[in-house]
Formats: sequence, structure tokens, C-alpha cells
Amino acid sequence: MNVEPLEDDRHHRFVLNMGPQHPSTHGVLRVLLELEGEYAMHLHPVLGYGHRCHEKIAEHKPAKSFMPNTARMDYLGALIYNQGYAQLLEKAAGIEVPQRAEYIRVITAELNRIQSHLLWYGAYLLDLGAFTPIMFAFDDREHILDILEDVTGSRLTYCYHRVGGVSKDIDDKFVSRTRAFIERLRSRYTMYEDLVNGNVILQKRLIDVGELTPQICARYGVTGPLLRGTGVAYDIRRAEPYSVYPEFDFEIPTETKGDCMASFMVRYREIEQSLRIIEQALDKLPEGPSMAAKVPKKLKLPAGDYNSSVEAPRGELSYYLVADGSDVPYRLKVRTPSYSNLSTVPETCSGMLLSDVVSAMGSLDLVIPEIDR
Amino acid sequence: MDVKNVVKQWKTIAASVEAVDFAVTGYDYDLSVAGAKVPELANFMLKSGFYLVDLMAVHVTPSIEVVYQFAHVETRCRVMIRAFVDANNEIPTISDIYQGANWHERETRDFHGVVFVGHPNLEPLILAEEDVDLKPLLKDEKSLKDVAAIRRQQPEPKPEAAKPEAVKSQEQS
Repeated sequence: MNVEPLEDDRHHRFVLNMGPQHPSTHGVLRVLLELEGEYAMHLHPVLGYGHRCHEKIAEHKPAKSFMPNTARMDYLGALIYNQGYAQLLEKAAGIEVPQRAEYIRVITAELNRIQSHLLWYGAYLLDLGAFTPIMFAFDDREHILDILEDVTGSRLTYCYHRVGGVSKDIDDKFVSRTRAFIERLRSRYTMYEDLVNGNVILQKRLIDVGELTPQICARYGVTGPLLRGTGVAYDIRRAEPYSVYPEFDFEIPTETKGDCMASFMVRYREIEQSLRIIEQALDKLPEGPSMAAKVPKKLKLPAGDYNSSVEAPRGELSYYLVADGSDVPYRLKVRTPSYSNLSTVPETCSGMLLSDVVSAMGSLDLVIPEIDR
Repeated sequence: MDVKNVVKQWKTIAASVEAVDFAVTGYDYDLSVAGAKVPELANFMLKSGFYLVDLMAVHVTPSIEVVYQFAHVETRCRVMIRAFVDANNEIPTISDIYQGANWHERETRDFHGVVFVGHPNLEPLILAEEDVDLKPLLKDEKSLKDVAAIRRQQPEPKPEAAKPEAVKSQEQS
């Protein structure tokens, strides 16, 4: 990187490393900042600190046994990553999934999405200097983790969705606890809105900061709440319906401005939509098996390529599989949303105040392991 | 977006345009294009409102295949565009058209050694600087396959799941 010294020494630029251990980068992301006073003139994200060769690993073992790796890419949306990968292999191997399993997948994936949004909500506000909301958000999130722990056996890196269904059926206790949680979270909205969303300091920090437009989003491949914040109602659950999502009535929250406040509100409103989906899924939950009867131990993936896209909490997740007829993928590419979302930063954040860079990068809701893979 | 019109335009640029079954493959159109024509096609994609989903490479013989994935926000139209690199592993960059391709191309350079001609900064992104010649996703001689081996067979073979002896093997993956 070249830093050109300016002739006037009073405006001399200097280079500052934000990260890889900076708390507001939420993981091992390093951003080289070229500062002029308190203004960040250029930003250079430096990636790869957490690269774990997931794509290389995928080429060296049977496709089914890659499932735990998917959860370790995005540790906050692990079940959604599970779901995308399970769908990919089911598509390739031609396996039918029982209806009940699809419903369970949707319920658990949506719980996972709420959990991810709640963590982002708390952590983002903590970045902005508000300490209290993370306590409330974690309190709510804890209920989801408890519910999911009972049925999946883990609290963070789930491996619950399997090829052909889910590993364990849900019981009445799960249903009643989930219903109780829905009621609880809804009763907290007023508190969140009074405490946080209407707060004037928050609005000053977020409004008009880090603005995106639909054109920038298209050029960079930005998806998810950031894209919906610019007014484009694009959600894979609706645009390319997968699983049993077409059976549910839910809205796609959008805002128009594309700034940090817009994506903040989109994420906040998505929590309610996820609750609605869960509620309907619990009402309609069909009886039957939770695992397909005939899932071969060794999957045969016919030669060809397969794509599976799902809506992860941060945007579009795509698995692209190239198969050569064996049970080991010839090539597996994982398109993760944060990777494309972060790549806008050098363009959209240059010239910003350093404190606004924290706002703008926090609104991307970054999960670094899915960027580095 | 008028899909028919877009397909017509594709046919003037791409070597082949094929509609594929979304239920089987997860995407709608499969395009093959000469490496030199990739920027022209990318320009057209941007004008038609497509966003860049992904860019990746697959190591096959005779040469590395670069796959571009595009999708549209208004209509369901997911497109795979394939292009082979030339004898020097080179292909024109599209990072001046789709800026999001910048990082994807650097990653592909890291993993497969594909050189994107015209890229502003083809330094290692995911890998460390000293691993610039590692190219970890290149296949060795034993596992390298011909491009015909990874293409979809017509007609599609029946899935193995229908075999009766597979019934008892329901154990966890």
C-alpha cells in the first residue's frame, strides 16, 4: 500500500491498524486506515486471519461429512448454513425430505435468525457506546439457545439439519417453550423501542451514515438487510422459494434511505417477521417422520453442477457444488454474504469520521469466519 | 426485466446459452463464453440489472474454468457463465464493471493462480503474502479430471437412493 506524504505537514496522513484484535471488528478482521486527522481517507480491509481451508477440506471427504464445517463458517446462522448445505445434497442426490422435517427446519432456522439479529443488536449498540441493550438482548437470546440446545444438543455450532431431514424430532416441550418465547419477545418490543430505537443519540450516530444505493449493491453483490435498507424487497425466501416458505404469510421489511438507520430498522423488524413464520409453522406442523426413510450411507452425486441459495441472517448464502459422480465433491464453493458486503467498505466509508466508520462497519453485521472461510 | 429479450442478447455474445431445470440444478441459465468476451457480457449484465453473486474457478483439463454467477433482484433468473482461461492462465478482469469482483478475483488468484488481466491489485487476499505460489485448490495429476467428467449427463441417471440395500443405512452423517 502506498501512502503519499502530503507537502503540508499539518495535514500529514498516518496509517492506523484497526484490528485484528479490535473489539468493533467482531473477530480477526484487520482494517488499515489512512487517517487525516480524524477522517479515514482510505480503508483497506486485510482478510485471511481466520482462513481454515473449508473449501479444500470439502474436496477431501465424503460430501455428507462436511456438514459440521458449514456451522463453523457463520457461527451465528449455523442452522441456516446447515439447511443450505442439506438442500444442496438433497438436490444433487435426489432425496425427498418429509414435510415435518421441512417445518422443523424452518422453525429452527428462524429461531437461529432471531438469535443472530439479537446478538447483532446488542453488540452493535455496544460498539456505539450503549452498554445496557446488550444485557437485554442477551437475556432474550439465552432463551433461544436453551430451546435449541434441548433439541439439537449444541448452543452455537449446530449440526442438526442432516441430509434427508433433521437428526432429532421435536417434542411438545419444544413447542410450548417456543410459544412462550414468542410471547415473551413480543412483550419486550415496547421496551426496546423506548430504550433504543427512538434514542436521539442513536439516530445522530446512524442517520445519513454509510449510505448505500441499489446500484452500489448490484455492483458489489450486497444482499440481505443492507440491500433491503435501500428499498429493494429482495429476499431469497420469497424470490427463490425453498423449503416450505411459500406456505407462510410474512412481510419483507424495507426502508428507503440505505443508511445505517435503514438497515438497523430492517433487522429489527425482521425479528417480528421471523416470529410470525415460527408461529404459523407451529400451528401447521404436520405429523410424520422427521427423517427420510432411504438415505444412502454413501451419497451418489451425479456428475454436473448444483447450486443452493438460502437467505442467511446477513444476506444471500450460495453453495455451488461441482460433482464428478463420486460421493466426494469435485469442487465446493461457498458464497458468503459478509464477503460481498464488506467489500463495499473501501468505497462507501472513505472520507468518513473514524467514529462513523465504526457505525458503518457495525451495520454490516460482520461475521469474520464466513469471510475468511 | 424481459427475460426473452435478455436471452436474445446473450445469444449474440455467448457461445452457447442453455436453459436448465431450476428444480434439479438450482439455477436457470447456463452460458458458455469465450474468455475475451467476458467483460462485454458483464457490461450487459450490469445494464440489465443483474448483481454479481459469485466468481470462482474449477480446475479441469484442458484448462481452468472460471464460473461467474449472477442473479436478478426483480425476476428469478440465476445465471452461470463459464469461460476458460487461456494458455497463460489469463482472463480479462471484470472488477472495473462489477467492483465486487475485485476480491473474488484476488481469491481466485490465491487458490487457482488465475491471472485477471487489468486487475488493479492482484495481491493475495485470503492467503498470506508468502503463499502467493501455493495455489491450494489446484488438483494433483491423480485427481484432475477432464471437463466432460463434470458435465451433466443427458439423460440424467436415476438417483441411487432408490436402491433397496440402502434402506438400513440411515445412520447419522
